This record gives sequence, C-alpha cells and structure tokens, in this order.
Amino acid sequence: MISGIFWPVFVFSAIALFVIGTAYRVLSLSRQPVHLRWELSPIPHVKGRGSYGGSDFEEFEWWKGPRRRSLLAPLAYMAVEIFLLRSVFKNNKRLWPFSLGMHLGVYLIILTAPLYVAVAIILAGGMPSSDTNSLREVTYVLGVTGYLLGISGVLGLLVLRSVVNDLRSFTSASGYFNLAFLGAVFLSGINACLSLPDFTGTVGQYAKDLITLDPTISIPFLLSLHVIISILFLIYLPWTNMSHFIAKYFTYHSVRWNDAPRDAKMDTELRRLMGRPVSWSAGHVQADGDRSWIEIATEKATDEKTP
Amino acid sequence: MKKRLKLTDISREEDSQLTEIVPDDLIPLPAPYDKPGWPADFQQLTADQQQRLVCNLDGFVALGLPRPRNEAEEKKYTELFISGMNKLLSRENNWTFLQPLLLSLDYCARCQTCNDACHVYVASGKNDLYRPTYRSEIFRNLVSRHARRRGKLRGIFGGKNVDLNWSTISRLYELSYRCNLCRRCAQACPMGVDNGLITREIRKLFSQELGWAPQELHEKGTVLQLKVGSPTGMSPDVLRDNVAFLDDDFSTSIGFNVSTPWDKEGADVLLIHSAGDILSFPESPAAFSILCQAAGIDWTLSSEIGGYDGVNYGLFYDDIQLARIAVRHAETARKLNVNKIVMGECGHQHKALMTVADRVLTGDLNIPRESAMTFLEDIVFSGKINFDPSKNDFPVTLHDPCNIVRNLGIVGPQRRILRYLCPQFREMMPHGVDNYCCGGGGGFSVMSGVNFTNWKVNIAGRMKFKQVLEAFSDRPGPEVKKYVCAPCLNCKLQFRDMFSYYRAGEKSGIKCGGLAELIVNAMADIKQAFISWEE
Ligand code: SF4
Ligand code: SF4
Repeated sequence: MISGIFWPVFVFSAIALFVIGTAYRVLSLSRQPVHLRWELSPIPHVKGRGSYGGSDFEEFEWWKGPRRRSLLAPLAYMAVEIFLLRSVFKNNKRLWPFSLGMHLGVYLIILTAPLYVAVAIILAGGMPSSDTNSLREVTYVLGVTGYLLGISGVLGLLVLRSVVNDLRSFTSASGYFNLAFLGAVFLSGINACLSLPDFTGTVGQYAKDLITLDPTISIPFLLSLHVIISILFLIYLPWTNMSHFIAKYFTYHSVRWNDAPRDAKMDTELRRLMGRPVSWSAGHVQADGDRSWIEIATEKATDEKTP
Repeated sequence: MKKRLKLTDISREEDSQLTEIVPDDLIPLPAPYDKPGWPADFQQLTADQQQRLVCNLDGFVALGLPRPRNEAEEKKYTELFISGMNKLLSRENNWTFLQPLLLSLDYCARCQTCNDACHVYVASGKNDLYRPTYRSEIFRNLVSRHARRRGKLRGIFGGKNVDLNWSTISRLYELSYRCNLCRRCAQACPMGVDNGLITREIRKLFSQELGWAPQELHEKGTVLQLKVGSPTGMSPDVLRDNVAFLDDDFSTSIGFNVSTPWDKEGADVLLIHSAGDILSFPESPAAFSILCQAAGIDWTLSSEIGGYDGVNYGLFYDDIQLARIAVRHAETARKLNVNKIVMGECGHQHKALMTVADRVLTGDLNIPRESAMTFLEDIVFSGKINFDPSKNDFPVTLHDPCNIVRNLGIVGPQRRILRYLCPQFREMMPHGVDNYCCGGGGGFSVMSGVNFTNWKVNIAGRMKFKQVLEAFSDRPGPEVKKYVCAPCLNCKLQFRDMFSYYRAGEKSGIKCGGLAELIVNAMADIKQAFISWEE
C-alpha cells in the first residue's frame, strides 16, 4: 500500500501538469494569427435574430445601427450543447445516448471534486465527520450515478465503434485507447465505491490529509488504484484530442461566432501579417520569398496554365 | 451492394477508379422522376478521355488533369504537395485560415455526426467516398505524417498511414471538387470542425503551390476577370452595349422607360451585378434597373475593369486571387466615391466581399457593403412603388443560397418580400440556415468539364431537386406554372442545368429566376407581365 509523502507530491504535481498542459493548449490556440472572417449561422449572440440564424446583415445599412448583443443567448446555447449534446442529438441519434452518458458521467465526477474538497475543509477545521454526513450522501449519489453513466456510455461507444462500419473505419487504436482509459477511470471508481465500507468518508479523509500535507496519509488499495488511474488520465488528457473541451471554445468563439468587424488592434496585427513574405510556389502567386502578402494581393494575376 | 472504402484506398497505385456510382443507389425522386431506368445511365468517359486524363476516382471527371508524363513529374508534384502542406501550416503563408484549419485538423472526434448533414453523401446513397470526413481524414493523416512528422507515433498507436504518391494526390485533387463548400456539415459538428474549410484548404494547396485549379475557376475565371473585367469575357464596351440593348428591349416589352446609369461619381449606391446575369438571366439586371429607377435611388453601375462583375471565384480555391479581386471591387467604389456597394443577386459575391475580405479591405478600401436582400426589402417597403400581389398568384418557393443564408445569416428580408408579394409562397423543408445547397456551390455551377455536369445534376443537386418537387407537391402537373426563387446567379445556373436535364419545365411546369424579377412582376404600374414562362 502506497502511503506518506508520495500522495501529495503525486496528486499536486499531476494537477500542476494538467494545468500546464491545458494552459499550453489554450495559449497555442489563442496565439494563432487573426484569420479571415468565416462565421457560420446561427450566431446566438445576435440579439433578436440569433435564434433563427439571422445576423446584423439583415438590417438595411447595417453599419449605421448598433450591434445589439445578447449575453445570455450564447451561454444558453452552449449549456444545451455541453450538457445535452444538442448537435449529436440532432444529427446522430444512434451515438447520442452513449455519448451523453459518457459526458454526464464525466461532469458528475468533476462535480464531486469540489464537494470532497468541502468535506476535507470541514474535517480540517476540526469538525466531527458526522457533520459532513449529508454532504457526503449527496456526493455518493452523484459519484455512483456518474460512474454508472460513464461506464455505460464508454461501453456503448466502444461497442458502436467496434461494430458499426462507419465508425470502425475512422477509429484508430488511440481512439479505442482513450475510451478504454476513461472507462478504466469509471470502472475503478465504481469498484472502489461499492467495495469500500465508507467510500465518501475515506475519500473525504484522504482529501483532508492531502490539503494538510499529512505525512501519514494512507488509503486502501482500491481507492489508490482509482486515484492513480484518474490522475494519470488527467495528465494525459490535455495532450489528446479529448481536449476538445478547450478547442470548442475557439471553434465557436473564434471562428463560427466571430463576426467582429476590424478594430484598431486587429488592424495593427493585420498590417504586420500582410507585411510578411510569402513563398507559395505556383506561378500566378508571383511570390519569391521576399514579396509580402499585401504586395502580392494588390496586383493583377498573369496567365498561367494548369496542367 | 456498394463496396466499402478504406482511407488507404486513396493511395492504391493502380489506375482504377475508387468507386462506381450506380443510378439505383441514389436516393429516389418523387414522381414523375421515379420511373425505373431514370435517370438513364451516366455519361461514360470515352476511351480517348481515359487515355489522356486522370480518371481514377468515381467515373466522373471535373478537372481534366492530364496524366503525368513520367515518374520525375509525379515526384515533382508529390514534393510540391508536401511543401504545400507545410505552407498551409505556416503563419506567413496561411495566416488567413491558420487557426480554423488547425482547429479542424486537430479536434475531430471521428464521430461521423456530420455525415448525414451532407446532401452529396446522402443523395449518393451514402457512398463512402463522399463522406464529409473521408477527404478530411486522409488530408489529416497526410499532414500529420509529412508536415508534422507524427507518422511514427501514429504507427506505434496502430494508426494506418495513407501513402503519399501520385495516385493519392491526383485522387485527392479531383475529390476536393466533390464538395460544395456549403458548410452544412460544419453546422452539424459538435466540435465545430469544418470539413468544408478543410476541402477549401486542400484546393488552395493545389492552386497556390502546385498551380492546379479548374480552368473555369482560374484561367477562365479569376485570371480573366483581373485581366478583362469578367469571367464572361465581356469587356467594358461590350458590357455597356449589352446593358443598353437590355434597357431598350425591356422598355419596349413592358412599356416602362428604363435607363441604366454608368460610372456616376458620388452616387449613393454602386451596384455590382454578377456579369453572368447579363448574359444568362438578363431579366435580373433589368429588374434591378427598373426598381432603382422607380424608387428614385441615386445609383450607378461601373464600367471599370474590376467594377462590373461581382463574382469572385477566388473564394472557392485561392486566397490570393480572392484578395486581388476583392481589392479591385473596393478600389472601383473608392474611385467613384460612392457611399456603399450593393451586392447583386450572387451568393458567393456576398460572402467574399461582405465578410471574408473584410479583414483585407483596410483603410479607405473599407467601403460599406450591403446585401441585395436588404436593399430590395427597403425598396419594396419604402412605399415608393405600388404593388399588386395578385400578379404573382402562382406557386413560389425560395431557395436559400448557402453563402447568403448559412454563411451570412441573411434569412428574413427575402422572406418578408415574398410573403408580401407572392400569395402562394411556400417554404422548402428544411429551409433558412438549415437549407440544402443547390449542388452548384463551391464553383460547380460554372464547371462543366468532361462529364461533370452529369455528376452535378444527378448527385450534388439531387437533394435540392427533390426538395423543390416536394415543395410543389400539391400542384405537381405542368399545367400549373411554378417559380423557384433563387437569389443567386450560381444557384440559378445549377437549377437551369438540373431543370433542363430532368425536363422539369415540360414535366412539372417549374422555372427558376431571381427575387428582383418577382418584385417587378408585381409592380402595379407595369401592365405587361415581366416574368415570361416561355422555355
Ligand atoms: S467533423 Fe465533427 S461531426 Fe464529423 S466526425 Fe469529426 S467531430 Fe464528428
Ligand atoms: S461542405 Fe457541404 S458538400 Fe462539402 S462535405 Fe460539408 S455538407 Fe457536404
């Protein structure tokens, strides 16, 4: 059985690695250059029009009017997308129940984390464990539901991806591995949850020992297994395409819903980008590695035969 | 039974085509287009065509790529393809679309949720080749291996590598012209991955690095437009002659004296039509002239090279050509010192000039740009023209051009006009931003190489044709004249090809035209019918 200082070192460095990985993803996506507009309706933040896909361009002389924006509509849109998987429901009914199960499983397990931290804080404050009973009961229900939903979702997806031709031919070994890895998180969780006599009490105590850096920290094997698998998954997550939870912000806000006309900041960046040399090889581009994008784009093309 | 396609099939070195399209596999059409043996077999490639051209995809050829002369040529193009992938991933060369491209390459969950949103895939009877994900996944695989050197890693994780050879690139080139760039699949994707964008990036790589692009879009398209003024080949003199002829002709036929103004400095509005309308659908520019005149708009057309044809085929395949044409459009407006540019009834003109080029038109090139839809709506509801909607008392349905509706979110104005002026207006299902492409998007409506028209009308346009027939299902016979309002030149060209192929005029009494024509047809002060039902 693993005990002692290993746990805080392992858990906190894993969380740090997750944060670093996530930050790296966010930075690498947000630092991409400004691109040409490529919006796609519906854009829910267009007030009064977003619901049916309308935009500011529906207004006569639209540049004269105020750009009326809704703050709530995009949030509501994203909430339905994230928590109920609207696009999958609308376009892929076969996949939806399993994908929803898997995602809800993840959300519920994530939700238990702050609850365990709350239990830990109460315990660290010297209160008796019985004071956390109701909190732990809620956490237990959420956890068990999350694990069960997650397992059924992952299993369903694994089966679908293995037997349905369309999905099988596009699923790589890493795709199966990712699902199986997440499945192992849920499976080890439900196993520990149902096998240990006081699962939430043990986890709460463990969380308290972690935050108080207790060197005598020690947990049962089944819980160790669950924690280790979950933590390894957390470290792995930002480096895979499961990090779409980060990318989705950018695909929606930076591309699909990005209907912002140019402003002074964008103009400065655009001037810098257009001033850089271009090296495309086709004759009509007339790039020589020295001439800039703007020089090339503001001149006429010459004749050039395609083969 | 269709043969299943693997991703790696694209690199099969033999010269055979990857898949065969069989008429019986296609989704059925309503009566009277549901007879056995309809449509007749597809137009087969001749022995000579097969000898000269690369025909290794699906039995159709849009691009007419000549066979390579020798291995050195194959190698040269394969190497260019690799350097092109690297340039697509570089800021200098591809700042224009780098972020959307990376997002679409890196975050696909391979869930295939987008597939059934694609009219091409569904209409083909779900042929693997036309899945929105098929070409994207192949390209993703090639980029990962050759531009990001992740092939070994993929090998370790058991992924299949697609070989990069002449067969791969020649097939991928042709396959990049089996997508209408309509982005319906992108709307369906939970991740926001855009297979239409990936297709356009593939086309761009071929154009900007290998110098490969369809003749209709490049030499006879953007190059001709920049040189002569229009892909139609119309020079300014011919243009003015043609429009003067139209003014005379319509003045006589409808008894309304119309005169189109030219190059008027300081006008409020510079209207830029698609010049193709002047040749193929002359009622459309004539209707605009009549409406502007009747409503007392201070407007002008331009006869400057770069100012009289609003098309911009660069949108379909090449950022540089796109920017060059958009800049010429804006320069014309700046020179004329107009207050705004109004788009003609042309979907891709709307998208190219109003949004995509917005970040290229810096400084005083940033002249306000207005849609034809809101411009016409303002005229119709201005109270300056009297209308008699009973003149439009025939079934009318509306096609939503993807570039105006799904991409720009202009949904309502055209509907408000039709509800007011057309008593028998009815929607297609689905419509608005969920519409299906007409099948002519992405440049296809002007591409007719080898036997490509056959593919366009049978597969790309099939879903739309079905929708049109269903919208008129209460009055199916040819005795009731019916109007498909398609406020976009490219859509109208595609409808014309489809209706002529299926003989929809003769069998169902359906014709296609623009929005402005319906408005003029309802003008109370014009006694003659403006819309003609003659074939
Ligand atoms: S593009 Fe989107 S919908 Fe299609 S397979 Fe990828 S993630 Fe799924
Ligand atoms: S962009 Fe349109 S035609 Fe192309 S794959 Fe997507 S849905 Fe199909």
